[in-house]
Amino acid sequence: MAKEYIHIILADDDEDDRLFFTDAFNELKINTKVHTYNDGVELMNYLNHDEAILPDILFLDLNMPKKSGKECLTEIKESSKFKDIAIAIYSTSSSEEDIEDTFVCGANIYIKKPSDFNVLKKVLSEVVTVNWQYHTSGLNKDNFLLRM
Amino acid sequence: MKLNSLYNSPLLLKIIFVVSIFVIFFISGITFKHLNTVEKSSYYVTRSYHVSLELERLISYIKDAETGQRGYIISRDSTFLVPYINSKEKIETSFNKLKELTKDNPEQLQNVDRLKFLINKRKNYLSKNIYLVEEKGIKSPEFVRNLRIGKATMDSIRIHIDEMDTIEDLLFKRRTKEFNSTIKFTPIIVYLTLLTTLVLIAFAFVKISRDLLSLKISNDKLVIADESSKMAEIVGNFGSWQFDIDEDKYIFSDNEYRLLGCEPNSFEASLENFLQYVHPEDISYVQENVGKMLENKDLPSFTYRIIRKDGQIRYIKGLGKLIIDKSGKKIILGTSNDITDEFTATQLIEDRNQELEANNKELSAFNYVASHDLQEPLRKIQTFISRIAEKEANNFSDSGKDYMNRIQIASERMRLLIDDLLQFSRTNKAEKVFEETDLNALFENAKQELSQNIEDKKATITCEELPVAKVIPFQIQQLFVNLINNSLKYSKEDTTPTINIRYEKVTSDTDNQIPSNNRNKFHKITFKDNGIGFEKEYNERIFTLFSRLHNRNEYSGTGIGLSICKKIAENHKGYIFGDGEPSVGAVFTVYLPII
Repeated sequence: MAKEYIHIILADDDEDDRLFFTDAFNELKINTKVHTYNDGVELMNYLNHDEAILPDILFLDLNMPKKSGKECLTEIKESSKFKDIAIAIYSTSSSEEDIEDTFVCGANIYIKKPSDFNVLKKVLSEVVTVNWQYHTSGLNKDNFLLRM
Repeated sequence: MKLNSLYNSPLLLKIIFVVSIFVIFFISGITFKHLNTVEKSSYYVTRSYHVSLELERLISYIKDAETGQRGYIISRDSTFLVPYINSKEKIETSFNKLKELTKDNPEQLQNVDRLKFLINKRKNYLSKNIYLVEEKGIKSPEFVRNLRIGKATMDSIRIHIDEMDTIEDLLFKRRTKEFNSTIKFTPIIVYLTLLTTLVLIAFAFVKISRDLLSLKISNDKLVIADESSKMAEIVGNFGSWQFDIDEDKYIFSDNEYRLLGCEPNSFEASLENFLQYVHPEDISYVQENVGKMLENKDLPSFTYRIIRKDGQIRYIKGLGKLIIDKSGKKIILGTSNDITDEFTATQLIEDRNQELEANNKELSAFNYVASHDLQEPLRKIQTFISRIAEKEANNFSDSGKDYMNRIQIASERMRLLIDDLLQFSRTNKAEKVFEETDLNALFENAKQELSQNIEDKKATITCEELPVAKVIPFQIQQLFVNLINNSLKYSKEDTTPTINIRYEKVTSDTDNQIPSNNRNKFHKITFKDNGIGFEKEYNERIFTLFSRLHNRNEYSGTGIGLSICKKIAENHKGYIFGDGEPSVGAVFTVYLPII
């Protein structure tokens, strides 16, 4: 059954960021369905639900209460059920340490939250339209951090 | 060397002593033997003389007898016969004497016997003379014949005595010669003996006095050393002790007592007495260490507290070492060092250090958290501004649009500042993991990072082959980024920016920018641009945090980038220098030690 939309999930504890995120997709002319969760626990609860519809791309904020993005990433990559989900790290931080760690844990791309709404739109459209099959097969650290 | 060491050894004196004794014994033996010979020679000389004398006497006795008899024959007076009669006895005595004198000379003894025979024969003729005169008369032929034979016998006696005299004379001469020769050597031998003994004694004397002198010097030195060690103990605030393992006896130095606040020798040196001054909480610790000392024959350095007589608590560092002297006596030599001042000073420094470290950590943590957490609200403000600027642009008045624009610029600048501050605090905070890294790869990464900027400015960047070095990779990459970025930022408007990067290996001998006391080898990387440059007086100031040479409206720096570069160079124990020339360009030189 071919889907006519791209299923996107964002886990981010910041209300403003969730707003920017959904607003950006609303303004983009891409057929997407966006769901947001307030923290890692909520996200994992949803994913582990039997009837959950798995996302095509999962955006993970790193700094979240209860369960951090890094913990979610590790859990997801350890599970055979979720391991094919493309994961984009979506964080304020761009420290070497975070980039290195998430890359090693198997995230597909690292996005530093932009400070301009137009740039945000550009970044998200880029990420969503990437051929993930191709992107994951050519995994390397040089293009892991998305530069805009 | 060997002779010298023999000269200095106490063995030499013993050797001299033994040799002297031998020499003296030997010489006394020779002298004794020699004197013996002299005595013997003199005895023989005298005896030869006596023999000759006795022979003379003998012949004179016979002559006396003969003369007496002749007188009687002529006068018939019997008084003439007295010497003749007496001579018999005298001759007998004389013979005995001769026999005695020649008893150890067989030849002469035989001669004496022969002489006796001849003399007896002569005596027989003499008595026959008297008989023949009285019976046959003086003219009778028997008497005359007897007289003649008697004379012949007398002649043989004379000849015989002459012979004996000659023999004795020869003997006498030989013995005199012998005697003279021995007597001649006697003084030489005695003299030599004396001389040898004198030389030996003189040598021994020199040696002994020299030994005594050096002994005295050593003794003086020892006294001085002892005094100075006592002084050193007082000045250095330490005491020493000795523990004789075999006799289980302690000796404390004067200052050891003073450390405890006591007068020297005010109590008997023993472990028990010492422990009375040790802080009650440390007694078992000290005992344990002393136990170890007896077991291992060594006392490792350890620190404990004592309570002095006046109640003051002091910190003492103890140390002991086993020493076995030449006679095999085992002694543990130990020192007790009062380190209270040091201890408290170190304690103070340590406390301060910890405080400082904590402060520093707090500060850098604050810096990090502040810059990191400020990012988020700022980003949101900027995003909202961008939304308003886009969505509500039409509803603004012209001045409102202008304000909006200014807000955007100001918030952008704030973002730059926060980004750079974060970078700076990361350079401080991050773990310093050195890895063998190809600097060419780091340079390529840096160029990649700045690719947009380089493209915009149409800059040309040339770089020589860089080495592989042990560095903190992301920091060096940051250094490259900041330096290239700096050159791009301060490029001249009308000229294409060019940046030349050169590399060479240097030491402080070949490069005068490296402090001469640093003996390391360095990678020297030079960044030369053709930008606006700066006055030489700012060569150092450009590296201080937040220092800027230009107005914000002209160039968009934060004054942090070069501070980060300096920090990175320092993290690598290297250096960075800047050298500018207005409107010509700037040269930045980075030195990284080769490790």
